[in-house]
Amino acid sequence: MLGVRDAYILLGGPQGSGLDTAMRILSRFFASLGYSVLADREYYSNIRGKHSYVHMRVSATKATSLKYPVDVAVAMDVESVFIHFRDVSRGSYFVYDLGTESSTIEDAKALEKYTAMRVKELLKELGISEYVGDVVKWLRSEGVEVVGIKYSDLINELVKYGVPRNVATRALSTFAATAATYLVGIDPESMVSTVEDVFRGRASVIEVNKLMIKASVSALRSKVPKVSKELGKPELSEDELLVVTGNEVVAMGKLVGGLRFQSYYPITPAQDESFYMEGKDLLKVGDKYLGSVLVFQTEDEIAAIASAVGAALAGARVATATSGPGFSLMVETLSWAGMNDVPVVITYYQRGGPSTGLPTRGAQSDLFFTLFAGHGEFPRVVIASGDHEEAFKDAVEALNIAEKYQVPVIHLLDKFIANTVVAMPVPKTEELVIERGKYYVGPGEGPFKRFSLDEEIPTRTFLGMSPITYYTGVEHDEYGRISEDPELRIRMYVRRMRKLEVIDREVPQEHRAVLYGSESGDVLLIGWGFVKGAATDAIEELKSLGIKASYLHIKYFMPFPSRRVREVIKGFSKYVFVEHDYLVQAGMAAKLFAGIEVRERIVKYTGRPIYTNELVDAVLKLFKEGVKEVVLRYGA
Amino acid sequence: MERERRYSMKDYRSEVWIEWCPGCGNYGILTAMLKAFEELQLDPKRVVVVAGIGCSGRIPNYYRVNGVHALHGRAIPFAVGIKLANPKLIVIVHGGDGDLLGIGMGHFVALGRRNIDVTVVIHDNGVYGLTKGQASPTLPRGVKTKALPRPNIQDAINPLAVALASGYTFVARAFALDVDYLKRIFVEAIRHRGASVIDVLQPCVTYNNVFTAEYYRKRIYRLEDEGWDPLVRDPSEARSKYINAMRKALESGDRIPVGIFYRNPYVPSYEERVAQMNPYYLKEPPSRQVVEVNGRPVITTDYFRRVFADRIVKVVGRGSK
Repeated sequence: MLGVRDAYILLGGPQGSGLDTAMRILSRFFASLGYSVLADREYYSNIRGKHSYVHMRVSATKATSLKYPVDVAVAMDVESVFIHFRDVSRGSYFVYDLGTESSTIEDAKALEKYTAMRVKELLKELGISEYVGDVVKWLRSEGVEVVGIKYSDLINELVKYGVPRNVATRALSTFAATAATYLVGIDPESMVSTVEDVFRGRASVIEVNKLMIKASVSALRSKVPKVSKELGKPELSEDELLVVTGNEVVAMGKLVGGLRFQSYYPITPAQDESFYMEGKDLLKVGDKYLGSVLVFQTEDEIAAIASAVGAALAGARVATATSGPGFSLMVETLSWAGMNDVPVVITYYQRGGPSTGLPTRGAQSDLFFTLFAGHGEFPRVVIASGDHEEAFKDAVEALNIAEKYQVPVIHLLDKFIANTVVAMPVPKTEELVIERGKYYVGPGEGPFKRFSLDEEIPTRTFLGMSPITYYTGVEHDEYGRISEDPELRIRMYVRRMRKLEVIDREVPQEHRAVLYGSESGDVLLIGWGFVKGAATDAIEELKSLGIKASYLHIKYFMPFPSRRVREVIKGFSKYVFVEHDYLVQAGMAAKLFAGIEVRERIVKYTGRPIYTNELVDAVLKLFKEGVKEVVLRYGA
Repeated sequence: MERERRYSMKDYRSEVWIEWCPGCGNYGILTAMLKAFEELQLDPKRVVVVAGIGCSGRIPNYYRVNGVHALHGRAIPFAVGIKLANPKLIVIVHGGDGDLLGIGMGHFVALGRRNIDVTVVIHDNGVYGLTKGQASPTLPRGVKTKALPRPNIQDAINPLAVALASGYTFVARAFALDVDYLKRIFVEAIRHRGASVIDVLQPCVTYNNVFTAEYYRKRIYRLEDEGWDPLVRDPSEARSKYINAMRKALESGDRIPVGIFYRNPYVPSYEERVAQMNPYYLKEPPSRQVVEVNGRPVITTDYFRRVFADRIVKVVGRGSK
């Protein structure tokens, strides 16, 4: 038996069949054994029936990115067989329902027309018929360990114990989790305690799942008495792990960071953040009251940002969370916030556009939108997070920057981070700082000089607790009183715009662009957001292939770390922008703000994440074939 | 400690010169509100006036209370954020009928559903004045005010019916130039706990040559003069009073009723609904909370573990902290 550091798992099945729960159970289970976990969920904008899958990595060290082929793939239905049979290779396990042996691709009713056409084309190319039985035969001939299990037998086994058939059928997702566990060499029996934890208070559900685990293990044992690869012992020393989605970890960061007012309008993939937060709105531990957040569901995104701005004027630490279509509606108010020195954080989860685009898929195509959205010119800060740990800290930092400099802050994330589950160390909140900036609460009649020209950053007031204060979207004087005087206009304009220079001066460039790997080498990958995981793993693999590679991770796009980016690039013979968009917007920003020419690029805009294997291949292609651009396309 | 003082109407008025046309209905609305503030002896620091865009949007400048000149159609959500962050404030929204019932209608309806304790004043003159006299949502179909190239092709909205249907618990209509009467309604609206709205009929002397001061003066009568009782005195009365108010709001003809149409103190405000779930809310609303101790989060690592216990997994066989 071979001990491995990482195991890659894929579970495919129809939306609504419990894969989400299976992902949660698996993530928590592996975390309870001390493993690092990263699990991506790919799904359609649909409640039931369309194809979805979980793609996860379990690591004895650190699960930072995903790749193909996987070690274990479990197909819950016919469609999954056809969609994922190429995601495994020699030595992988492929689990499918023996009962579907004689089904064909035509039986996958929810399969999209164009996907079906592509798969049929592929089958033809490989000389495989459209029967499931033939596909698995081909897999076997390719050296894949095919594990056929009759799912109806599992269901019947549970029915014998008195479980209603429909309930037993639903528990099949637990079979998927059990199979994934068993086939990476971990005893699934110990998963029972995780199941008890996840379904706490629902005794009958726990019972059903226990029965399913038992039935699954005995079925798997009879087919695979001994697994070929086994996950090695975890090397992390953590006593406990935080198992969270990106949405959840941002909610946590905001609460820790002192957020006390969050507004939102439901939109994928942002809504889970506010939803999770709502469940935690009363921060109370035993008898100790720590604070509370008002999570306010509005009638639209215009009201979401407008109410957040209003709450900020009253002195609350505020944010709103949305995605592209929602941010489109917020833009007019963003400009008002810029005009009035309002500290407001917009947590922005990018998804595939334009328009409704790919609402449940990821993208990085809104960078320029966030940089320049809004009529007129005003200072704003744009911060992007690359993984869950960053997202947590950045959520706090966004609130700090917003209040300290009295500017709108856009915290850029994407669907990949939003929905991905990771197991990460519990954050040490004592290491965080809370900065509220300058404000005055106390006596005095006012009007208050809210927009003072004497200070780089003026003093804020809290409506109702400070002297009378005026705000207006019209150009105004130091007291917030309307004035269109041309000379005053210049002074107020400069006052606002200078804030960007202050931020640029005060936030270190090394913090705004972080280098992974050595300061010099053959190639520098430059990216941002979720690209971080694949890129940091790719540079390691490239090193093993003899290419000295590093990764420059851009975290601030406004103000842009121009000097740092220019300096770092000098150390490399080649630099490549890696992004989830078409235009290479981070590259465009680098050109605009740092005068860097975009020469080579690796992009992906299918809405699926960049996988380490395809990124490595693409970099090799740049070297070997001399191409300037590689468009990535892997993933169902 | 600020000393006890008595505020007079002019204490609420700023020094800024008023840029409305002579004879504008806005003067009546401003004066009535200043008088209402005086009568209620409101602390100017506790009052926030939020306005939209247009002629009425300039009104915060003329008050000596906190003023937020927001965006077209968005005065209500700005006001809502202010109020929810600090429920102790008295929050008043001024907006035109185009602002509140056209571009901002979604927010207008949503405020009613929530019954947040905000007072909305509709400056209802039937036209978009500052953009030179286009038809606004309250201008009836077929009417041709002087700037219109042809008669209005769209039907008018009934602001009171919309307010009632949306859940406002204080619904009134008044005339801008009957200042004392308007003041009395403002006083009652501000006292009301919950969402209140006053549809203030006002002339636009420059662009509305149909619905003039003269027009209104001839037709207006006061509801109470005909024995109207808008107040829900017991929850069991709510439905019948509501239906009566709706019927009255839909009345058309040559007589225009003004006064309080409906007033229901029994619907919990949004703030009360929040307080029911979070008993700390009214005492420590979002704007009054301490979120840091010496620049560090209130939520220590230990508290973090307990608050977010649902997402923390203990590693089997390792000691717990």
